[in-house]
Amino acid sequence: MKSKKKTKAGLLSGMIVLIICAVVWVLPILLVFMNSFKQNTFVKTDTFGLPAGESAAGLANYIKGVTFGDYPFGKSVTYSVTITILSTILILLFASMAAWYIVRVNNKFCKIMYYVFVFSMVVPFQMVMFTLAKTADTLKLNTPFTIPIIYLGFGAGLAVFMFTGFIKGLPLEIEEAAAIDGCNPLATFFMVVLPMLKPTMISVGILEIMWIWNDYLLPYLVLDRTEYMTIPIHIQYLQGSYGTVDLGAIMALITLSIIPVIIFYLTCQKYIIKGVAAGAVKG
Amino acid sequence: MKKNQSSNTNSTMITRPIARFFPVFLLPITIAFLIGFVYPFIKGLYLSFCSFTTTSDAEFIGIGNYIKAFHDATFVHAFGFTSLYTVVSLALVNVLAFFLAFLLTQGIKGTNIFRTVFFMPNLIGGIVLGYIWSMIFDGILSRYGTSILLETKYGFWGLIILMCWQQIGYMMIIYIAGIQSIPEDMMEAARIDGASKMQTLFRVTLPNLMPSVTICLFLSLTNGFKLFDQNLALTGGQPFNWQADGTVVKTTEMLALNIFNTFYGQSSTARGVAQAKAVLFFVLVAAISLIQLSATKNKEVQQ
Amino acid sequence: MKKKLISALLCVSMVAATLVGCGNTSDQGSTTETTETTETTEATDGGEEVAAPSAEGGSVYWLNFKPEADEALQQIAADYTAETGVEVKVVTAASGNYESTLTAEMDKSNAPTLFVVGNQAAVKTWGKYCLDLKGTDVYNELTTDDFTLYDADGKACSIGYCYESFGIITNTKLLGEAGYSLDDITDFDSLKAVADDIHARADELGFDAFTSSGMDDSSSWRFSGHLANMPLYYEAKEDNWTECPAEIKGTYLDLYKNIWDLYITDSAVDPATLATGGYDAEAEFKDGKAVFFQNGTWEYGALSESWADEDLAMIPIYCGAEGEENAALCSGTENCWAVNVNASEADQKATLDFMYWLVTSEKGTQMMMEQFGEIPYKNAAENSNVFFQYAAKYIEEGKYTVEWTFNYTPNVNDWRAGLVAAMNQYDAGGSWDNVVTAFTAGWAQQYKAANE
Repeated sequence: MKSKKKTKAGLLSGMIVLIICAVVWVLPILLVFMNSFKQNTFVKTDTFGLPAGESAAGLANYIKGVTFGDYPFGKSVTYSVTITILSTILILLFASMAAWYIVRVNNKFCKIMYYVFVFSMVVPFQMVMFTLAKTADTLKLNTPFTIPIIYLGFGAGLAVFMFTGFIKGLPLEIEEAAAIDGCNPLATFFMVVLPMLKPTMISVGILEIMWIWNDYLLPYLVLDRTEYMTIPIHIQYLQGSYGTVDLGAIMALITLSIIPVIIFYLTCQKYIIKGVAAGAVKG
Repeated sequence: MKKNQSSNTNSTMITRPIARFFPVFLLPITIAFLIGFVYPFIKGLYLSFCSFTTTSDAEFIGIGNYIKAFHDATFVHAFGFTSLYTVVSLALVNVLAFFLAFLLTQGIKGTNIFRTVFFMPNLIGGIVLGYIWSMIFDGILSRYGTSILLETKYGFWGLIILMCWQQIGYMMIIYIAGIQSIPEDMMEAARIDGASKMQTLFRVTLPNLMPSVTICLFLSLTNGFKLFDQNLALTGGQPFNWQADGTVVKTTEMLALNIFNTFYGQSSTARGVAQAKAVLFFVLVAAISLIQLSATKNKEVQQ
Repeated sequence: MKKKLISALLCVSMVAATLVGCGNTSDQGSTTETTETTETTEATDGGEEVAAPSAEGGSVYWLNFKPEADEALQQIAADYTAETGVEVKVVTAASGNYESTLTAEMDKSNAPTLFVVGNQAAVKTWGKYCLDLKGTDVYNELTTDDFTLYDADGKACSIGYCYESFGIITNTKLLGEAGYSLDDITDFDSLKAVADDIHARADELGFDAFTSSGMDDSSSWRFSGHLANMPLYYEAKEDNWTECPAEIKGTYLDLYKNIWDLYITDSAVDPATLATGGYDAEAEFKDGKAVFFQNGTWEYGALSESWADEDLAMIPIYCGAEGEENAALCSGTENCWAVNVNASEADQKATLDFMYWLVTSEKGTQMMMEQFGEIPYKNAAENSNVFFQYAAKYIEEGKYTVEWTFNYTPNVNDWRAGLVAAMNQYDAGGSWDNVVTAFTAGWAQQYKAANE
């Protein structure tokens, strides 16, 4: 970056603008954090004050939030984590295998599959949601351990598309060499191709994690409601349930649900930002 | 680029053995894809021509659902509202995102920290975002004796602000990637030629950034049209209004929410209509996306 | 076709074999199950010998629509399971989401076996999913047929499992502190006089007249549903409704305005903030911050934690109608059980057994009484709910019951949502005309939508 020629004044004003923006960006999260320590009624009447004196609730909101109703928040967290991890692994594995197959074999069937996958990227969820709920239920794909198959199916498009784009650019010579050395396709894929896919794996993985972790409607419609909730479902459920809405407790739960995300983000932000830039083609 | 050449010249030595491994490589995802997409999609198309209480007891009735969908004032309103919302948010998000991206590529100290901060809201889900902003807006508006649920314009701008907060960081990352990929010697040449900063921006930076701009515009477009979670959590469609004929219109209800509400309302005759609306919605979103794909095809945009 | 025939034949033979008389309408579901289940009873944990045929293998899934009863239902479900070994699952729909939850759940293979079909509109939508309850054991326990909902073919789609009363819950202790007694309140004018005075002296007294009237989902039904019953009831009475009218006139909307204005004026809360809610009226009442709280008999459990029986009363909602000094509480029900006809026979049997247990066993009736109030069954538990005593008192005095006319409402959730929005605009300084439009034009529109 050659910025030395820039005038100091310009840089300074730019800096000021950025600092103001950054404050605006952080403020909402700070507010949630602050309000999670306030008594319910003060969340609305005194949103911008610090919790003090009468309005201070200590950890009461957290205790109430976590034990609210008949469904402990910890369960929702566990299911959210399970679904996100399983689905992402499944998508990464099978989409990369499919993409490699499609690129290398490249027959008519592969081409058709490729276009159907790409087509699925542009279909909004509303188009399939009513019937998907029924299908998933019939096939018992309505638990946190089986719903990854739904995610694999509905999320296949983007992943295959991104992997295909990358694999097309891989040199063939290495795989040929492996084949000559007597590797079967499975060995070739896992020993030779997969390591080369690492950057795309990270990009796709990040995008899928962000999608699945935050997804509300798909798990809401597909999961067996009598047993399972995810974090977004849990928070939405509290909003309209148990007689009165306790905003303080909701803010406590929101804080609890944001903290792991922020930690995850701060540790992997380099990959996340790269992944987003690479995945920008997403429809 | 050498890209296409390798896939075209796949040697049979490599192709044949792989082809035999179809059950391992392609079959699993194909099955999941059939379950998670193909079958629901086809069934959904079929149901849009049916009348049903639950999807299991469908009865074919023809195109009646589509006619009803077109005559549904709430759907028409949702379309108008969504379109307006999308255009406004698209303009605001992109202008601001570009502005920030431009600032962040000027070599100001702490660029990484700013980038991290601006991108952060993207990792928070729509439902949670909705409740965060609902608290903030009502915290402000309640001082003036009103609420985001009371006026359409509050709901509209509330959603816009929410969307800006969430999306600017995302678009900014894409713009930054685009700006950084502009060859340094091009900028250098402009500077040597004595171009002013403004001239450099409009004559060099922007034209070279067109691929990124296209992507961001279309992303904003589809994001706007598909918005659901934020809409549900922030306003839930409130406030409602009455037209002369007594039709209740949820004034801040967007297309996706309208489809959802139609389906899960009490009236079972409306379920087929909801599915028909979903098909129309799909056609709309698909059209936008396909234009995007063809527009960005063959353009080098990544990184 | 063939399969159906065979099963029908089987049923007939089994009915003959087991000699279980079922009146005229032979309820095939329950009788066929009898033989099958007695076999399996031994197989599973043989706790105590259950005399009544239980439906082992079957399970119950109750889709409950009363969030406030959730905790107790979970408990009773666990108790029932412990006692009989039959699995009972209770799922509570978030408030305002019962209809959408039902729609989604009925489409699943594990659909609810027990659900609520509480009004004619619901019968229309869900009637074909309802088992004919006529002649079942639980049906035979009913003391009245008043709350049974029939479809056009005379099928008993759902049966009431409780009835309730609502009115204005009054804290007589605080009322006394303010210098009044229940006898001072006999109609709208006297109610208003008392409330206005308490509101004016709120600082000095330390409490206000009415609790907050929050309009968020968790509280708005008290007004868009229950309070709206007042103008609906008087109009229905005048026009002799026998079914849901396509259009309503809103003749008595002034009454609605009277009482609503009173609620929001004589309260500690700024009306403009009601739209977003976040208030907890029940807690306000429990903490003694207000004298009046419009709600129903189901609140007794919660309120009696903080106040003694003699401090609690329930008075009719006086809103300025002619002759209202002779009105009693609003009584009726929208709590009607329906059994899923598509559920497996074992599940249907298990569900019917569970229902029967709820209305006959000591534990069951006790819980039903505590959670839902009066139940129209022969073995109903003695009711200690003070609010029901008031309901009975008014009837004994020869006053007229205000029926639950709101059960006629077409597309009830949409209609109420529209009304809430209009009332919110009014509270924030908008025109009352919006409320009138939402009430009448909204009704016509929802009727059209539901009946096209």
